[in-house]
Amino acid sequence: MAPVVRAESLTKRFGKLTAVDNLSFALEPGTITGFLGPNGAGKTTTLRMLLGLAQPTQGEALIFEQRYAHIAQPALRIGAVLEATDFHPGRSGRNHLRTLSRAVGIPDTRVDEVLRVVELDKAANRRVKGYSLGMRQRLGLAAALLGDPELLVLDEPANGLDPEGVRWLRDFLRGFAQSGHTVLVSSHVLAEVAQTVDHVLIINGGKLVRESRLDELTATMGGAVRVRSPEAAKLREALARAEIEADGHDHTLFAHGTTTERVGEIAAAAGVVLHELRTEESSLEEVFLELTAERPQ
Amino acid sequence: MIGQTRAELLKIRSTRTTLGLALGMVAIILLFIVLSGLLSDVTSLGGAENEREYFGIGSFAGLFSALAGIMLVTGEYRFGTIRPTLLFTPRRSTVLAAKIIASFFAGLVLAVIGEVLAVGVGGAILHGRDVAVNLHGRDWALLTLGTVAGTALWGAIGVGLGMIVRNQVGAIIGILAWVFVIENLLFGLAPSVGRYVPGQAQNGLMGFNTAHLLAPAASAAVLLAWTAVLCVSGAALAARRDVS
Repeated sequence: MAPVVRAESLTKRFGKLTAVDNLSFALEPGTITGFLGPNGAGKTTTLRMLLGLAQPTQGEALIFEQRYAHIAQPALRIGAVLEATDFHPGRSGRNHLRTLSRAVGIPDTRVDEVLRVVELDKAANRRVKGYSLGMRQRLGLAAALLGDPELLVLDEPANGLDPEGVRWLRDFLRGFAQSGHTVLVSSHVLAEVAQTVDHVLIINGGKLVRESRLDELTATMGGAVRVRSPEAAKLREALARAEIEADGHDHTLFAHGTTTERVGEIAAAAGVVLHELRTEESSLEEVFLELTAERPQ
Repeated sequence: MIGQTRAELLKIRSTRTTLGLALGMVAIILLFIVLSGLLSDVTSLGGAENEREYFGIGSFAGLFSALAGIMLVTGEYRFGTIRPTLLFTPRRSTVLAAKIIASFFAGLVLAVIGEVLAVGVGGAILHGRDVAVNLHGRDWALLTLGTVAGTALWGAIGVGLGMIVRNQVGAIIGILAWVFVIENLLFGLAPSVGRYVPGQAQNGLMGFNTAHLLAPAASAAVLLAWTAVLCVSGAALAARRDVS
């Protein structure tokens, strides 16, 4: 099956700064992909190029194998929210949606329908000025849903949501994807989307650092040896002499690419007291932090 | 195109911005009509040229029409609605054309309100002060149609300017400085050049006989040319610029 979204050597430069650097990836239909990376990693710039708001410096970003601007009636196939605050404060929620629905000939009845879906029907005639951040997020989502799209692209949709809102969004996205639809959702916090997504795209400094199924992410990254010692600094030096990388804080170290046996031997040879020595499966968050630890230049 | 124009018309109607502009226009026109109607002496009110200028106060609608056009574009950038707008209609020239048409209609409405006020209230004041009205068929036709057509074009000028500048405050200050300071300076210091500015073209279009002004037909062409240049430049920039 043809990918729903495809980026080919996608690059965006702003003067000397390379915001997106030779990025290539593809999204299969029916998947929920988390587009992850720290703030400033190039997520929003990538999404803007994907949605035709910005021109790539090089490469291309395609949806349904076409550039966004070339898709006939894109709002009927793709729903997107880039900012939670893209409303005129003096316009009612319903009128905001109508300014969009009228542009592409979507009937007013559909406006009322999506308002019910996002549970804003009671607030629809109030001006957006009086909406909470959560309500604004949902109004943005309602706009994206107007055309009954097969692909949803959401930039940091959980930003500023309370836990109840995050849960509502998660349930909504799962329901959306269950009907065979595709979702691309960006976040700088893996935990926000870990329970929602099945695939992850991780970028850092504009480069793709990981593209995989979520469940493969932890498995392939492997664990670390967790070692606790009152003489952690001395142990770290001994490990370094054996060319074993270790990081950590206070009395706890994580040694990478090694085994508990080897760390135990090195500690004994160096005369370092150990209080704890075990293998630790890295958590999703640790993998994420590790993959994105290098600061972009 | 029709859909996007309907959307733009709804944008104009669905906030209080337009109402505020219309009320501002009504206040300004009433203020000038009433003050100059009551405070000027009878000799400086009478005569065709004085009357033309007096009733021409209704053409303040043009400035408010331009402001409405500016708001329709720069408001989208200020509040970020340009993003959803372009997601629904990615062709930027379509969005811009729809805004031009919508502002043209908004300008028509403002012009009609302005003219009714200027002619109605101004006429009543002149009548009350026993000033005979010396304007005739052609004068009235030029004055009213010139105001209405010019005001509609000013709406499109506002859209073009807004598209070029994008910053709301910058565009508003820019047009106020242009209309009230630069145009007057140019026309005062170098009338052979100054008569080609849009404000003086508007005056020429309304049939003013001030020295150096172009004839109505030439004035209409100049005003149209300004509109076209600003709108085409705005469209060219919009097609190239990224939306952040």
